[in-house]
Amino acid sequence: MTRPPLEPLQALIAATPGFMPARATSAAAGVDQIFAFIFWVSAFFLALIVAITVLFVVRYRRRPGRMEPEPTADHDTRLELLWTFIPLALVFAMFAMSTRAYFRMTSPEASTASPLKVSVTGKRWSWWFDHPNGKGAPELHLVKDRPTELVLASTDVIHSLYVPEFRLKQDAVPGRFTRMFFTPTLAGTFPVLCAEYCGTDHSRMAAQVVVHADQASFDAWARQGVDAGASLVEVGRRVFTQRGCAACHSLDGTRRVGPSVKGIWGHEVNLVDGSTVKVDEDYVRESILKPGARVVAGFPNVMPPAALEERDLQGIVAYIQSMGETP
Amino acid sequence: MTSHAAAVDGPAPSYLRHGRGLRSWLLTFDHKRIAIMYLCAILACVLLGGVFALVLRLNLWNPSGGLVSNDVYNKLFTLHGAVMIFLFVIPGIPAALGNFVVPLQLGARDVAFPRVNLLSFWLFSGGAVFFVATLVAGGIDTGWTLYPPYSLEESRGLGILLALTGVFLLGFSSILTGVNFIATIHRMRAPGMGWFDLPLFLWALYATGIIQIVATPVLGITVGLGFLERVFHLGLFMPEYGGDPVLFQHFFWFYSHPAVYIMILPAMGIVSEVVSVFSRKPIFGYRFIAMSSIAIAVIGFLVWGHHMFVSGQSAWASVIFSFLTLLVAIPSAIKTFNWLATMYKGAIVLATPMIYVLTFFAIFGVGGLTGLFLGTLATDVPLHDTYFVVAHFHFVMVGAVMTAFLAGLHYWWPKMTGRLYDERIGSTSAWVTFVGFCLTFIPQFFAGVAGLPRRYATYASQFTVHNRLSTVGAFILASGLLVALYGLASSLRSGRRAPANPWGAASLEWTAASPPGLHNFDEDPRGVRPYDFTGLRHVSDEAGWVREGAR
Repeated sequence: MTRPPLEPLQALIAATPGFMPARATSAAAGVDQIFAFIFWVSAFFLALIVAITVLFVVRYRRRPGRMEPEPTADHDTRLELLWTFIPLALVFAMFAMSTRAYFRMTSPEASTASPLKVSVTGKRWSWWFDHPNGKGAPELHLVKDRPTELVLASTDVIHSLYVPEFRLKQDAVPGRFTRMFFTPTLAGTFPVLCAEYCGTDHSRMAAQVVVHADQASFDAWARQGVDAGASLVEVGRRVFTQRGCAACHSLDGTRRVGPSVKGIWGHEVNLVDGSTVKVDEDYVRESILKPGARVVAGFPNVMPPAALEERDLQGIVAYIQSMGETP
Repeated sequence: MTSHAAAVDGPAPSYLRHGRGLRSWLLTFDHKRIAIMYLCAILACVLLGGVFALVLRLNLWNPSGGLVSNDVYNKLFTLHGAVMIFLFVIPGIPAALGNFVVPLQLGARDVAFPRVNLLSFWLFSGGAVFFVATLVAGGIDTGWTLYPPYSLEESRGLGILLALTGVFLLGFSSILTGVNFIATIHRMRAPGMGWFDLPLFLWALYATGIIQIVATPVLGITVGLGFLERVFHLGLFMPEYGGDPVLFQHFFWFYSHPAVYIMILPAMGIVSEVVSVFSRKPIFGYRFIAMSSIAIAVIGFLVWGHHMFVSGQSAWASVIFSFLTLLVAIPSAIKTFNWLATMYKGAIVLATPMIYVLTFFAIFGVGGLTGLFLGTLATDVPLHDTYFVVAHFHFVMVGAVMTAFLAGLHYWWPKMTGRLYDERIGSTSAWVTFVGFCLTFIPQFFAGVAGLPRRYATYASQFTVHNRLSTVGAFILASGLLVALYGLASSLRSGRRAPANPWGAASLEWTAASPPGLHNFDEDPRGVRPYDFTGLRHVSDEAGWVREGAR
């Protein structure tokens, strides 16, 4: 019994061309494998097209002694089916491989380690990263092998966070939050670029991501010169107080005009229309900007919208999150 | 020689001589004159867009730019894209070549609605004037994609409103052309010409017409809503008024992706004509080529979301868009292999149109195959909005479409002008253009994979070599195009008189005089089989090819 020689074939289709950047996340290897597969399939078909073209032109060129074509059939259903179904099968293979990888790239990792969650704010023409201990910085700090979640927001126009070594990219869209999930696998410093055109200095809207080799190194960085005033939770507490939110939304679970913010984070709440919603970044943002959109059951729809700055919104989100998940 | 050529012209004066003066052109209902006006207008736009491109490329010679400021660079790439797409690639083949050829290939005297045809031309001109006004008003720096919030901020000034109005007018011009072609192909086929006797160029334009009619109104709606959002703050696209910028992207690509097929389908039609005529063989797999045009038109409506894989749209939507996008590869592959099979055992003539078509195979091959990387989700995420995308769509839209446009222009030039261009100049232009094109855009694939985002006025120094190769290539490409233009222009003065059928083609336009009389045919023709070359015999260079038994 002989086995088909699949291994050399697999090695061939997984052989990445040598011009790719380093692979620095859990997503990169999967992306590169699919890239390699499409690359070699494409290279084969391009070579085939060019070879047939050249061969036919050389052999069948009109010249003295060969002024007339040789009669051949002008259609052949079997050939048509051949060049319909072979490309179709290859395209199916690409689609199947890539969709699996894509869901892995865009979903939280099923991991026991708690994710490192960083709030990212894009604005013309710089990035700002708020790390979980409250330290904000113009560069992104992550820990090797620690699952990471980035929550992206923009204060003005659309930006797009792109790290070529991560093989990942995500638009930061004003008016909503978007997310990225990945695990850095390579310690080092990599460029953070903006990939969505945003005006004059789009090409200079660059930052760095520093992937620390271990948590201790990250913690050491995070302790340097932390200014308590810079923490998102602090921002949120200040805004909450200044805006008088506590008049209706208690901090201790007491029922007032509106729901208390204590211990609601991450919970499903019932709405007046009978549906439910999970209290997350998007719901909190919507409830501040458009309070009437989804009102919690049992409460009147009386809250005025508050047009908050992006950072203040993030602060409120962080503040509510800091109030815990258990009522 | 002149007296002899006059005899070839036949009894009726050619459409070029019928009527003199500017009025006889600007107010003409003759599809041939309208086509020539379109051609001149479109070539002027190509020159404008090309100059923008060369300034962009020069600015990218050094990583820090320096030739122009970032703001000027951003305006230049916006106008380069907008002019090339709206004023050249979309109208180019249908409006200039299609207008000339469609009635002739059908054996008709004109299109179904000649007045609408003229209106379409004037709407096009009006749109172009608004683009020039945008330029005069200081230009716009939004990118041709016009994404809000950036594009609709107050600080973009008056230019954006002028540009939106221009796009609106150009959209209607395109719709009217589509309506006209569809009606003409339905109603004005020569007696005896069934649907499967249509030259494949007409099938391609028919499929194009469907897209123009169904998708282009959405463009009009989108730019109209954008205009209203900017002026009245309706809260559609701008988050600050409660709108959603991603909604605009859906609207925009619902038109602008099918628009890619408005560009490429007519190009494929030209390739089908040229490859058959210059292989001296009937096109292989006629019905598969015809139906794959329709398939591309239909599937093309359902793939727009592949421009938005990283915009935050739902993952499941992305998966479906990815699948449908990849399906477009199938009709494209069918066409390509049928073209190649047409050459099998043919008698291949390496005239200029055929050389352009041979380079088209390679260019379209690269353009189509690199589309697989972008339709596939996992690989699109890193490649999206990088130079890989720039290179990919230039291969399809510039490489393939412009190459086919030049093939078609050289192919029908004797019919349009009554003159033969110089083959040596023509074939030189084809090869120089091909080399310049590859040198310009192949390095950009590598830059994109290595992580250079598009629309960057400045770049990291690791990309210097890529950019310099591109810049050198762009100038070679430009010189190739100038050679082509020179060859065609000089033929107007010194070219040999063209016979009715210089190529030995079998479709009906080659039975009319070169150039045709006002009403195209001396007597209304009957339908023929457009790829049946039996009986065509080359008489002499002066008399061209004649069908035995005819006359």
